Amino acid sequence: MHKRSTVFFCILIIFILSFPVYAGAPMTVVDATVNRVLDVLRDPSLKSPTAKETKKEKLRVIYKDMFDEMEFSRRTLTRNWNKFSPDQRLEFVDLFEKILEKTYIDKIMDHPNEKIVFYKETMVSENQAEIQSKIITSSKEIPIFYRMILKDGKWKVYDVVVENVSLVQNYRTQFNEILAGNTPEQLLEILRKKVKAH
Amino acid sequence: MKVYISWIVLFLILFAGSAPGLCLAARPIGAPADALSPQSALPARTSDIPAPSPKKPDNAVQDEYNDDKNLDYDDELFKEERITIADPIEPFNRAMHQFNDKLYFWALKPVAQGYKMVVPEPARISVKNFFSNLEFPGRFLSCVLQTDFAGAATELGRFTINTVWGIGGLMDPAAGKELELQKQDADLGQTLGVYGVGHGFYIVWPVYGPSSPRDSVTIVGDHFLYPPSYIYPWYINRGVWAYEKINYASLRIGDYESLIGAAIDPYVSIRDAYIQYRMKQVKARKARSVLFKNTGEDQTAKGLSSQPEK
Repeated sequence: MHKRSTVFFCILIIFILSFPVYAGAPMTVVDATVNRVLDVLRDPSLKSPTAKETKKEKLRVIYKDMFDEMEFSRRTLTRNWNKFSPDQRLEFVDLFEKILEKTYIDKIMDHPNEKIVFYKETMVSENQAEIQSKIITSSKEIPIFYRMILKDGKWKVYDVVVENVSLVQNYRTQFNEILAGNTPEQLLEILRKKVKAH
Repeated sequence: MKVYISWIVLFLILFAGSAPGLCLAARPIGAPADALSPQSALPARTSDIPAPSPKKPDNAVQDEYNDDKNLDYDDELFKEERITIADPIEPFNRAMHQFNDKLYFWALKPVAQGYKMVVPEPARISVKNFFSNLEFPGRFLSCVLQTDFAGAATELGRFTINTVWGIGGLMDPAAGKELELQKQDADLGQTLGVYGVGHGFYIVWPVYGPSSPRDSVTIVGDHFLYPPSYIYPWYINRGVWAYEKINYASLRIGDYESLIGAAIDPYVSIRDAYIQYRMKQVKARKARSVLFKNTGEDQTAKGLSSQPEK
């Protein structure tokens, strides 16, 4: 009886120990994803202006693979998330993604030769980590930190901290202020207008 | 003996068992082409409200995220307290925000763009270095007042080296790999922050932008500690000041645009970015200060979030 429990204990230990290994180090995940982005940007077959849409589509796939949009959206809304109906939540996540894409995708595509250095990985808990990186250009260095969460065996980014400003926190302040005087539907309307206005 | 053999077999089986899992998780990263091809072949989305991820069932939106307990995110793990700043003069601030926005798009940006076309980037970087070198007195004094003596020494070394070997500060050899003397981003408002003085409330100054009573000390102090301010007559020193701003803007065109482009309410976004940025700066400086290094996280939090919550 005693022996059986030791064996069981061993199995347990092995499972626990093998878990982080199985997920891969978070830093490798971001590093590899960023390299995938750079590969798409530098792909000579996608150089022509007509290939812009193909390029965007490819970047979108990588983005979905790298970001946990649901976690990101939920963290920006915090308690207000509960005020949204399931359909509104889906629309919110979608509109939010479109706004981010419209702002950043051209900027990213304009800089295919940026030098990016990943230099630090901090495990905050067993399923959360922060990866520190910086973009080095000729005139400046921009620190970019990725906050990641382990879900279903996969590390995904849920917050990006650019020059010490957390994106999640920044949006949270904005949404809090808007939702203090408006309904979720009104917020969605503001977002819809913003997506259209671009 | 038999027992040991069975143990070893057990271990082997378990390790072998976890290996395929390892490969699976690593595959989309290790083999990007493999992971990309099936998905990139998909046509562009046609419906207006697509599922955010094909893998996640729709009910994830309802069930998985419907828990009240987990909704109070403040990222405690990252020791992030909710940072807010009082904004009693919001109507004035919003007006000033509008003014500065127009000033950027109608005056600063076009001028900086024209300047950018004429002057090559290396020259503009040298100009930036030159002015940055002249800002040395403010940074040095702030380091000393913050009791960051290592930082003060670094600044003194940088000033000497860059002035002598960097042709009056046009180049920045001190920051090179051999010396590694990095610029210390110290200023006077931050120094007050290190001593525990809170922001007070939010002010947007015309031309100068986001600030607070505490950080306004920086604007005044910088004026007195910045050698070009003593150029006579006044319109020349204002001209020099404007030129420095235009040169700096020419190196960062696009940054402001994406900041407000991504924002839902640009005014609130900038206000939040400003206080987040300043708070982390003060925290970082505090960690370097001889006096305040060991005062601990609690005190830091108290000193910084002394503003009333909105």
